[in-house]
Order: sequence, then C-alpha cells, then structure tokens
Amino acid sequence: MTARLRAWPYLAPLLILLGVWVYGPAVFTVVLSFLDWNLTTPPVGVVGLDNYAALWRHPEFAQSLVQTVLYALVLLPFSTVVPLALATLLWSRPGRAAEIYRAILFLPVILAPVAVAVAWRFLLNPLQGLVNEMLGALGMPPGNWLGDPATALVVIVVITAAKVVAFNMLLYGATLASIDRRVVEAARVEGATALDVARSIVLPHVARPTVVLALLSLVLAGQWTFTNISVLTQGGPDGATDNVFYRIYTLGFTFFEIGEASAAAVVLLAGFIVVALAWGLVRRVSRAT
Amino acid sequence: MNRSRLLPVATALVALGALSACAAPATSTEPSSSEPVTITFSSYSYGAQGTMGEGMQALLDAFADEHPEITVEPQSVPTADVLTKARTDVAAGSAPDVVQLGYSKMAEAFETLPVQSLEQLAGDEWDGHVEGINEALVQTGENDGETAALPFTVSVPALFYNADLFRAAGLDPERPPTTIDEVRAAAEAIVANGTNGAYFAIADASKSDYLTQSVINSAGGSVVSKSGDVAVDSPEAVEALGAVQALVQDGLMPAVGVEDALANFSSGQLGMFVSSTAVAGNLAQAAEGAFELRSGGFPSFGASEARPTNSGAGLIVLSTDPAVQRASWEFVKFLTSAEGYSIITEQIGYLPMRADLAEDPAFLQEYFENNDLLVPSLEQLADVAPYLAFPGENANQAVVTLQDDAVEPIVLRGADPQSTLEQVAERIREQTGQ
Repeated sequence: MTARLRAWPYLAPLLILLGVWVYGPAVFTVVLSFLDWNLTTPPVGVVGLDNYAALWRHPEFAQSLVQTVLYALVLLPFSTVVPLALATLLWSRPGRAAEIYRAILFLPVILAPVAVAVAWRFLLNPLQGLVNEMLGALGMPPGNWLGDPATALVVIVVITAAKVVAFNMLLYGATLASIDRRVVEAARVEGATALDVARSIVLPHVARPTVVLALLSLVLAGQWTFTNISVLTQGGPDGATDNVFYRIYTLGFTFFEIGEASAAAVVLLAGFIVVALAWGLVRRVSRAT
Repeated sequence: MNRSRLLPVATALVALGALSACAAPATSTEPSSSEPVTITFSSYSYGAQGTMGEGMQALLDAFADEHPEITVEPQSVPTADVLTKARTDVAAGSAPDVVQLGYSKMAEAFETLPVQSLEQLAGDEWDGHVEGINEALVQTGENDGETAALPFTVSVPALFYNADLFRAAGLDPERPPTTIDEVRAAAEAIVANGTNGAYFAIADASKSDYLTQSVINSAGGSVVSKSGDVAVDSPEAVEALGAVQALVQDGLMPAVGVEDALANFSSGQLGMFVSSTAVAGNLAQAAEGAFELRSGGFPSFGASEARPTNSGAGLIVLSTDPAVQRASWEFVKFLTSAEGYSIITEQIGYLPMRADLAEDPAFLQEYFENNDLLVPSLEQLADVAPYLAFPGENANQAVVTLQDDAVEPIVLRGADPQSTLEQVAERIREQTGQ
C-alpha cells in the first residue's frame, strides 16, 4: 500500500463526519431550494427558481442581507481594536490585578446567552429600566432602546459586543503571551516609549491575528447576534434588527417555507464563497507584489 | 497549509454550517405500546414562571395521583415556538403525544400535523365528557367535521385597573370604563395625575392576534369575513386600530412592548392594562400589598357591543399508537374535566370552560366568592367571538404578518392605519391564496 493510500483510513472518520453533518445536508439544502416543502407533508414538487424569485420579491430578505453587512461592520472594532487594546493593557502590566481584570472581562463569555438577553430586557425597559434611570440622573432623555428602529440594531450590537470583546481579548492575550518580554525590556533600556513598544513590537506581532479576527467577524457577526435578536426583538421593530441568519430561521421554522429558507441559505453560501475567493485573490496579488 | 489558505476553507465551512441548519431529514418511529404507558406533553405553561408554571405542575401532580399507570413527560416550550417545535418533532419522527397549542396556530396545525380526532379516541365517552364545556370553543376545535381540539387554558381579554390610581385621579373605581371613549377619558385623568394611563397588549412577542381580533370585532368588523375573505382592511378594522393608535399619539398609552408595560402595571405605575385573563394570577400576586387590583370587561369600540375574542390554547393529540392514544385521551379527559378546569382557574387564573363550575360548591363557587377578578370576564364569556383563523396552511404566517407589519407599526409607531392595513391585507391574501 502506498503512502498516499495509507492516509485514507486516517482521514476517513473526519471525511465521513463532514459528509454526514456538513456536505450531505448542504447538498440536500441545495436540492430543497428547488422544491416546495413545508417540512411535515411530502414535497409538493419541483418549482424551479420560484423560491429564489420569492426571496427577491419580498423586501425582507434584501433588508436582512444589508443589515447582516451592517452588523459585521459595526461589530468590526469590537472584534479587533477594542479587545486588542484591552489585551495589550493587561499584558503590559502583568500581575494579580491583571488576572482579576481578565477574569472579570471574560465573564460575558461564560454567562448563559438567553439569561443575559433577558437581563438586558429588564435593564432596557423604557418605562422603568435601570439604563433610563441612570440617563435621567445625568439629565439625559430616556430612550425606547429596543422599540425604536433607529436604536434597536445598535443596542443589539452593543449587547453582543461584550461577549465578542471578551473572547477576542483572550485570543489576543494568548498571542501577546508569546512575545519575549526581554525584547521589550531591552527596547525600554534603549529609551523606547510605551507607544514605540506598541508600534514596533506589539503591532507586528498581532497583525496577522487581527486580520483573521476581522474576517471571522465579518463571517460570524450574524450568528453572534442571533440569540439577542431572538430573545429581545424577533427581528423587529419594522425588521430593523433582522439579519440573514434570523431570516433563514424565520422562513424555515416559523413560516415553514423550507424551500425559500434553503434558497436563502444557498444565496448566503454563494456570498461567502465570493468573500473567500476575493480574500484568496488579495493574498495572491499581495504576495506577487 | 498556511493560514491564508485555511481562512477561505474555514469561511466556506462556516457557511456550509449555516446551510446545514436548514436540512432536516424526515424519518418516523412508532411509539411504544407497552404498559405502563408513558406519554409526552408539549406545553408552554409547564415550567413557566409564577402561577402559570405552578398551576400546570399541580395539574400534572393531580393526574399522576389519579392515573399512576400513565407517566406524563412534560416538555417546556416557549409560547411562540409550540407549533415550530411540534412540526420539527413530527418531521424528526418524535412527535409529542399531546400538545397545548395556541388558537392562533390551530388552523395551521390541522393542515400540517397528524392531528387525531378526539371524538374517535373518546368513543362512547365523548358526549358525556363534552357536555357542559363551552360549545363555541368546542366548535373552534373542529377539523374535517370532528372535534380535534378541546379548550384547555382559555382566556378572554379583560381590563385590569389600579383602583388606587383611579381614586388618586378622581375617578370612581366602582365604575370601570366600558367603552374606548371611557378608557380615553380615564387615561387622561390618570396621566394628568403623573402616571401612565392605559395599555392595550395588542402587539405581543408571541405574535398572537387575539387582541387585534377583539378590538376589530368590538368595532363591528372581523379579520375574516363571513364568506371567508381576508378583511383586515375593512373600515371597522381601520377605525378600531386607529382608536388604539390615538391613545399612543395623545400620550395616554406608552409606546412600549407588552413585557415592559406589564412590568409597569405590576409596579403600580400604569392605570389600566387590557390583556388576557391569563395574566390575572401573576397580576394578583404583584398587586398584593402594593395596590388594589380590579378588573372590568373588555371595552366596546364605537356603537357596537364588546366582542372579545378568546386567546389561550386547546389540547390536541398527535400520537398514532393505540395504547398511547388511549393514555393521551385519559390525560386530555382529566385536564378538561371539572377537576382539571377547577385547578386551572384556581391556580393559574384562566376562565373555567365549564361555566357551571362557578356556581358549584364542590368546585369553584367559593373561589369566585372570594376572587372577583375573573367575574367580569366570566359574565362576558357568552359574548365571546371565537377565534377566527385565516384560511390555509399559511395561517400562522398571515397572523405574524398582520401583527408585525400592521398592528405594531400602526399602534406603536404611528403608521397610517388605512394604507398600512390595505398593504398588509394584500400580502395576507397572497399568503392565503386569495
């Protein structure tokens, strides 16, 4: 048996799992996108591109696509700059206090997402919530934070950001831990300021993880916000907090338009493939130059 | 493979993960018919906070005492997800045997789930059992000419009010408002005294349209005409929703969600709260020692009589195994018996679906002598307009469209009632194939 053939038995478990849980259902989803099916009765039949046409006929899907991009863009600083700044601050002052701060900042990651969302509902109650009470004490007007289409999306982002910042801060912390502190000390002995250290030692070290986290943020932002949307707004008011992941859930498991939901998922997949190809192209061009 | 190559692959895998969520293989299994029998019960009351969850547990305990041979495995499901869970469970071959299903989702359930005829499951027991249960609500559960759902946790909208705020505003708490104009006038007096006036819980997170139907019915309209046509853009509907909208625009009703308003009323800062009697138990608990809670019937709109629509849930059976079906019927029979309805009323606050229990010394007579919160609704029960479902298998989708695209924007955000209802009516007609 050649080395190439011997590799397959080792790969088989993973390939089988991927086939059963990812690629198989994905192919099935593509097939479903051409059928009219309500989940509980046999599919009515092949409807061609009708499900895709229905997506574009109903403005909610286009709105959810635009808002998915909006979520990603607004969450971008919370997945890159903010956690990097916090991780750098904690890294630059090692000790017990830094460990305590790190534990406190990481807390949002381990709290139950639904419980956190429900707690936010009480805090944001426009009539007697703590947030409005505090604003009132500062002489600021109250807001209907989740009920106003102008503020609802931003509020969902801010609530979600706490968890994203906490998790990415940990990733940055792991990256920073690999920096040899003797290099930093040597730089300081040579007269480097804190800004010099950040610019010349820290930033080159974290540049690659920052790009990776930024791209992951673009891909995952919609999923990070799902629980908060589901518990707090159900995509409203007036669809202002909807995103494509919640729209797929609504189409599939509230309206049972399985064909249309599958078509939406296929469109989403196509979008991600375009992003992935564009990223590959950028890498190739940058390497060539 | 370096990171730059890994990333596109990871990106594609994440996207495929999203795709996979939509694919659910359909298989079927046969429930066991061995003794003792175990049945599953999908319920949004089970496990709920406060009196709702406690009352449901009391029902299950009472049934367990009476039928030790039947084990009930309750499954707690959020109100808005009961139909979703039932349909996905059916698709996965693990359908719950008995389901507590909201009336706004009943029509779609009849079209898409293997709902069993309760009449056939009951056999000779049927006529004797249903005698005394509210006839209109038994008829609401008919599917293909046979009863497939019996009323379980049923309520009608009522006007709850804070008698202390009434007195402070110079209003007579012995004379609660009975028309929308009187609600307005009372709200004006309460707001002038420094607290919030009134709130109609018409746009709630569970996407039920029982209160929407109640205000439209009470203005002389209906969401579905007698000929079966979608009629949410009728002049009566425009007038009814316009009247509720006017409360908000005039600062007499806070433009907030139902949960926020409920918390406000429970803390004694809101004068009137128009909602289902399902919240009566929790409101009574919140008011105890804090303020005097009273109730009145649902108000009329315009010249028409008040015609509130019932909300709440019926019980359906999905099991196809004969032994499980028999046990499921025993369970449904107990929950809708005099004893079952009495526990539901005493411990949760739903209306008894056997009206004679209210005067029966063996059941609820003493309860109603000491608790008058449900009395106005009980008296209004004869005027209840049974819940009307939109036609077809997209009935639930139509309700969500009505609530999200018309009722909420009109009432809470000032959308034009006429044009908004016309647009939404067209959308619902498309959804229901009209």
